[in-house]
Amino acid sequence: MGDLNGLLSTVGAGSVDAAGGGAGPWWAVLVPLLPLLSAVLCGVCAAAKVKSKLPAWITVGCLAGSFVTAVMMFMSIQGHGALTTTAFEWINFNWTAPGGEAQSFIANFGLRLDNLTGLWMLFVTGLATLIALYASEYMSHDVGKGYSRFFFAFSLFVFAMACLVMADNLILLYLGWEGVGLCSYLLIGYFYTKPSAVAAAKKAFIVNRIGDLFLALGIMLCYVHFGSVEYAVIFEKTAPYLAMLQEGRIGDIPALVQLIPALLMIGAFGKSAQLPLYVWLPDAMEGPTPVSALIHAATMVTAGVFLIARTYPLFLVSEYALPVVAWIGALTALLAATIGMAQFDIKRIMAYSTVSQLGYMFCGLAVLSATGGVFHVVTHAFFKALLFLCCGAVMHGFAGQLDLRKLSGVMSMKGWGIVGVGMLVGCLNLAGFPFTAGYFSKDMILAESFVTPGMAPIGWILLLTAGLTAYYTFRVFFRVFVGPQHAEPGEEFHAEDPAHGADVAEEEHFAEEARHAHGHSARGHDGHPHGDHAHGNHGHFHPHAPGWAINTVLAILAVGSLLAAGLYFMGDHGGFVGSKLHGTTAEIVTTAEGHTAAAYLGNEPHAGEHSFLGLGDPHKVMYYVSAVVGFIGIAIAAVLHGPKGLGGLMLGSRTEAARSKADNLLPAMGPIAKWAQHKWYVDEFYDLVIYRPLRGISHVFRLIDQFVVDGFVALAGWLPRAIGRSVRPLQNGELHGYAVGMAGGIAVLLLIVLLAVS
Amino acid sequence: MNTMTDLTHLLAQTGFPDSMGSATLAHYLFVSAAMFAIGLIGFVSRRNLIIMFLCTELMFQAAGIALIAFGRFHLDFTGQTFVIFVLTVAAAEAAMALALVVLLFRRKESLDAGEWAELKG
Amino acid sequence: MEQFIHPLVLYTACILGAAGICLALPRRAGGPQLIGAFIAAAAGGIAILAMSLKAGPAALPSIYFYIFAAVALGGALRVITHPRPVYAALYFILTIIATAGLFLILSAEFMAFALIIVYAGAILITYLFVIMLAMQAPAEGEVEVLTEYDTKAREPLAATVAGFLLLAVLTTMMFRGTAEIAPVATAAQVDSLLDDLPRKVERVLENHNMLEEGEKLALAAPDGGPAIDGAAGIIWVEGGAEPRIIERADWPEEMSVKNIEGLGFNLLRDHPGTIEIAGVILLMAMLGAVVLSRKQVQMDEEAKMRQARLLSGDTSGEAGA
Repeated sequence: MGDLNGLLSTVGAGSVDAAGGGAGPWWAVLVPLLPLLSAVLCGVCAAAKVKSKLPAWITVGCLAGSFVTAVMMFMSIQGHGALTTTAFEWINFNWTAPGGEAQSFIANFGLRLDNLTGLWMLFVTGLATLIALYASEYMSHDVGKGYSRFFFAFSLFVFAMACLVMADNLILLYLGWEGVGLCSYLLIGYFYTKPSAVAAAKKAFIVNRIGDLFLALGIMLCYVHFGSVEYAVIFEKTAPYLAMLQEGRIGDIPALVQLIPALLMIGAFGKSAQLPLYVWLPDAMEGPTPVSALIHAATMVTAGVFLIARTYPLFLVSEYALPVVAWIGALTALLAATIGMAQFDIKRIMAYSTVSQLGYMFCGLAVLSATGGVFHVVTHAFFKALLFLCCGAVMHGFAGQLDLRKLSGVMSMKGWGIVGVGMLVGCLNLAGFPFTAGYFSKDMILAESFVTPGMAPIGWILLLTAGLTAYYTFRVFFRVFVGPQHAEPGEEFHAEDPAHGADVAEEEHFAEEARHAHGHSARGHDGHPHGDHAHGNHGHFHPHAPGWAINTVLAILAVGSLLAAGLYFMGDHGGFVGSKLHGTTAEIVTTAEGHTAAAYLGNEPHAGEHSFLGLGDPHKVMYYVSAVVGFIGIAIAAVLHGPKGLGGLMLGSRTEAARSKADNLLPAMGPIAKWAQHKWYVDEFYDLVIYRPLRGISHVFRLIDQFVVDGFVALAGWLPRAIGRSVRPLQNGELHGYAVGMAGGIAVLLLIVLLAVS
Repeated sequence: MNTMTDLTHLLAQTGFPDSMGSATLAHYLFVSAAMFAIGLIGFVSRRNLIIMFLCTELMFQAAGIALIAFGRFHLDFTGQTFVIFVLTVAAAEAAMALALVVLLFRRKESLDAGEWAELKG
Repeated sequence: MEQFIHPLVLYTACILGAAGICLALPRRAGGPQLIGAFIAAAAGGIAILAMSLKAGPAALPSIYFYIFAAVALGGALRVITHPRPVYAALYFILTIIATAGLFLILSAEFMAFALIIVYAGAILITYLFVIMLAMQAPAEGEVEVLTEYDTKAREPLAATVAGFLLLAVLTTMMFRGTAEIAPVATAAQVDSLLDDLPRKVERVLENHNMLEEGEKLALAAPDGGPAIDGAAGIIWVEGGAEPRIIERADWPEEMSVKNIEGLGFNLLRDHPGTIEIAGVILLMAMLGAVVLSRKQVQMDEEAKMRQARLLSGDTSGEAGA
């Protein structure tokens, strides 16, 4: 996969103007600037209290323009290495160090245009445009209220994401990094009157801060070691280390350089919701669904993956960084999948699947399948956006209902066909059904993990996770979209507040609700045998089917998800993505002996003699194995959750919404199911390990503040008062006392003068 | 010959405007200091408001003696000018003080300064 | 630094005086007031005697000084020891008169008489008025009862200690310094005031027939200087055969500058603001006294209305009612 020369030429390209390098097209700056313009206009709309859908059309228009520009940019940079477009000089400090050495700190508002950037911007701007279109309808109940605010933050997010991805230095990347964090905070807390949304926004922001701190430290360390934050310089100075790696002299690589990826990695884990910092992402689903789709599934959370792909040379020269990334990714994938299996909130299940799939991407990068990782980012972006938007459509139509026990047979309802088909396409992709895009991208990662030395356990974990993913994905599909028609409205029914508040109550009273779920649902079913169900005191509930904007977007995304599979067959280096990545920093360095990264040096070489369980080359065998695993997962889901009927196609026997065969298995599983429902008590664990000790320390400091610091302050007030109290009797109000004091005082003063003079 | 001049010559220390010795000055200063001390003691020890004010007048007198003695010693009339000022202040003080005393007496039917120890801490 | 009189003598006198005054202060039991007064007088006598001995015959003050000083201090002592305020005020008048005598010895005639007129004549009479006002005269046949606050001194010991500590320190400082100060002015300088008194000079010369026929005080000296130079003792006269000088030695007694003249010049020429300030102070004091002693009349609304009607002479309201 690539060769060192290719990489080195890329590295050189960025630096000055070696072959293929140089200045990129000036209009590339429109990619970030159009969303910024849109944000400004939406801000003006908010200030002018616009009461129409104008902000949505501004946003859609600007983002579409941005997308077109990104496509043009992507076309124009083909055949060039990495181009640089500098919008303006941003930070430029030059000074002379005490030793007489000239030093500088340069971070321009410059864009590094290469295929990695291009790929990312294509799906970021493309998806953003589609989702903005979707949101124009989805958020329609907020027109005139938070509508402008929503699209302002939405546009600002795209601008920040573009900065992050297109930056030619780490400082601008950091600006974008914090910018997307800020927009994420603003959008999760969009329904700011809802306590749970505010709490989720704070949680996301604070957890991200931890990662951002380490990213900032990594950037600082980069500057300390390389003397620059510009990618061109950094990669130029990394090249000698890559040469050492090639020669097998990894001992000569400074330890400091090995520390940089460790710090960057933690930043990436924070933004991309990996262990141990994944806890914010499921809660982030408090935001409006388009936000969940765009930010918390498709784009922002892949920023960590992008960071690692962008600074891949640094990771390659580190001995420990890639295995750590691999293990973290694999464990996150497994853990999130197990949690996802036990949840009932479909949006939350999708959130956990996002966490799980992000784990896949990290593994892909870590097992030297950068192509697989990036390919999975692209395919995942499409099908996860599709899945979220389908969930959002369901939620929109059923008044905030997200509980899969209270919905059934949605696909067969009038007007919900496109949603159902879209959901099916998304689920197939996510489950890795053969010949879908997800199937190919996941296979590349799986296969490569069995090939990479010492990474076979990662492969087994990921394979297991693939099966679990197929199960929980189709659990949602079988329960919600097929089977007998049944629907209960969510909490927004007849509610003024448009927030989808089901999550909160469900989270807080989870156990209780689970206990009562059966009886409650059964009673409702008995009373209203048909799909249009309603509580007696709420009147009749009619779900409203999605309109043209939502359906159009879903259709485009569904088609796109299917067509994305075609990317696999384009190009010669591992499909379209692989061929495009060829020559970017995300390419793998292979030595003459087949050695790859510092971490895998010394293990058995990467060669064709690998075989998967004696069946042959993992690259080929994995097509079948993963397909089988996926089928097994889908089959289990069908048995446990599938409805009766459908021409004997379905193996299941579910006849009502709230109950399925899986419930019979629960007692057998003992407490495990309950633990999984409660997300393995990770939040509680963090609460115990981090929150409570901090709180305890805060209490201690509060006591110190109260008694020691305040004590000093109080002493400053008490002391004069005490002195005053003790000398107060002197002021007895007797005129004579004062006169004696005055006369005696003068006498004593004169006496002192007298003694001093003589 | 003017009678005033005669009286002056009869009484004057050494015939004015001849200068006066510092030893002679000391006598006057002692009288002044002693009178001041007596006035102070009276002010501090007596309780009748009117007597207390009389004692302040005594102290004014002591100051006047010292001023005039110094003026004579230096053959400078400024000392006497100051005494005019002291007289003025004494008169003003007497007017104010006596008005106050009358006011206070009306309130409590007593001239005891101790009756008014109400500003104690 | 040489003490004017021996510190031992001085401090003995101070301690004696303190003890004496302490004893002399009024007590309820009557007590040894007379003895105290004697001791205090003895202390004063010792101090003055010591000073006089030290000064020697040349610098000895006139005999009147001793008389007036004794009367003044004795009167002052009686002011603070007499239990009856009326007597205290009368003794204060005595002190003032003795002080005026001391002023006379010091050639401050104007101040001496001003003191008697203003203090004894005006201020002390006011005091006496107030004292009379504040005391009820005893009815017929009743024994006059002195109030407790008049008959019992308050903390006499503390008062005398404080007072005599101050006195000791003051006198110590005085006696250290007096030997070193020297008179800065001479008699000739006093005569320089004559420069501004040409009318007086001419009148005195005429009264004593020191001017020849046709002569008068020169407007200016022949060399262009002033006609009268008091400091130098020269007076130019002209109009006769030729201008001539009348020397200080030939000046009559009457020519010397009077106290009232010197004081007038000092007050109105050298310190012109003082008299204005004094006037303002007195005015303010008068206003203050008026405000303070005014009686607050409490009237209710109805009384005010009635008063107002009465003043306006309007009776229609009553007729209507």
